[in-house]
Amino acid sequence: MIEFIDIHKSFGPKHVLRGVSLTVDEGQVLYLIGSSGAGKSVLVKHLVGLLKPDSGRIILDGRDITWLREDEFYAVRKTCAMVFQNSTLFDSMSVLDNVALPYRKHHRLSRADASRRAREKLALVHMEHAARRFPGDLGDGLRKRVAIARALTLDPQFVIFDEPTTGLDPVAADNVDDLIRSLRNDTGVTSIVVSHDLRSIFSVADRIAMIYDGHIRLDGTPDDFRRSDDPVVQQFINGRPDGPMKI
Amino acid sequence: MNARIGQGFGAVGAPVVAVWRHGWAIYSVFAQVVWAIVTGAIRWREVVRQAYLIGNRSLFFITVTLGFLGLISVYQVASQIQRILPDFTMMGPAFIQLMWREFAPTITGLMVATRVGSGIAAEIGSMVVTEQVDALRMCNADPVRYLIVPRTVASAVMLVMLTIYAVFVATLAGMALADVVFNVDPSTFVSFRLVTTADVALGLAKALSYGFWIPIVAGQAGLSATGGSAGVGWATTRAVVSSSFAVILLDFIISGFGYVVLNL
Repeated sequence: MIEFIDIHKSFGPKHVLRGVSLTVDEGQVLYLIGSSGAGKSVLVKHLVGLLKPDSGRIILDGRDITWLREDEFYAVRKTCAMVFQNSTLFDSMSVLDNVALPYRKHHRLSRADASRRAREKLALVHMEHAARRFPGDLGDGLRKRVAIARALTLDPQFVIFDEPTTGLDPVAADNVDDLIRSLRNDTGVTSIVVSHDLRSIFSVADRIAMIYDGHIRLDGTPDDFRRSDDPVVQQFINGRPDGPMKI
Repeated sequence: MNARIGQGFGAVGAPVVAVWRHGWAIYSVFAQVVWAIVTGAIRWREVVRQAYLIGNRSLFFITVTLGFLGLISVYQVASQIQRILPDFTMMGPAFIQLMWREFAPTITGLMVATRVGSGIAAEIGSMVVTEQVDALRMCNADPVRYLIVPRTVASAVMLVMLTIYAVFVATLAGMALADVVFNVDPSTFVSFRLVTTADVALGLAKALSYGFWIPIVAGQAGLSATGGSAGVGWATTRAVVSSSFAVILLDFIISGFGYVVLNL
């Protein structure tokens, strides 16, 4: 289980998170929604130590990980993987080397062993045919799949997806949604998905939390969101340009 | 009144705090690089690749720059000598000594600081703003060890090589000009009688230290990039200014140590 407790985070004068508290249960797919710049990505990066809160605590499976050192976070990152918004594949490495990197760095496997295991993960996302190609040769959808394969290399318990379907065509986006579903159904992985994609949100989410003005505005099931009479929530989930939302 | 005093302290204190933070950030990268080298955490394959990019790719740049420096320096010095005492016997030896002691390492250092320093900051800065550095951290790859250490080792080695090459190029250019314009025999010009082991050691020590510090300063600038392409641009500018300043500062410190303390 993941718990964010009263997280505050500022960047210079901008107070992005103003006391966010959120719990994610085991095996759940939680979608984190909100307008651009609301602090969704900022919040999830705290979980893997890429950012430190100004105040508040983060509890992962009962352990307070808020103030772990960088080297102590490496153990957390084995169980908690992240797929970044821009795929973040390393252009100078082949697809296979990109996916093999966590095996070589986290598990200190030899190049040959790491490559063998990386091929297995590429097969999971149907990308084994592209093992020798370079990320620059692939389209956005395929790059995203490779990034997901890299995130799954260490068989994580938790996976964070930062806007996994942004910029993808509908078919590629559906493939990513299927992957998130199958992770939950087949392996019981807990996922936090940062997204604006309303179609994905309402077809995959077990739970949705909306960040607005530095706080959690509503935390509930997709039905709770549909039934909500909060005008801010309704404006966001219906994509209306006019309404009370501060942009 | 109190508010004005507070504003005054703030105006003075803010730049001091900023410089302190900047210095501390560079020191932090320096300490990590030293620790990685001491513990042998070096990606040698990447060192070789970076050595090619930093060293071989700078050859043309250094040839042109140091070639012109040799031509201009010898022309200016020879013109003065011709007016005062038309004896060119000591011009070549003094020129070569000056090249070893000062110009070859420092001008090469400044050239590498602009060419390589900007490249390192732009590359690492782009990786920061596109979250590739975060992805490295997720893969248990420390960004300093992964990105800055190989560049530092390669740059230190290649700057020493480039400095030796720079002395050769500048001497060759100076010798040609002295021969053609002032009719100085090449065998008179190319004489190492004033060059001591200490001069060579001082020059190479400067080259080694510039080569070591340029990627650290530039890499730190890249790692501190924020925002988008504008942030990368600022990081690159900061890298060039800071690494050029580092070269001048190190020149002052090493020269002072060599000439004043060791009495070379």
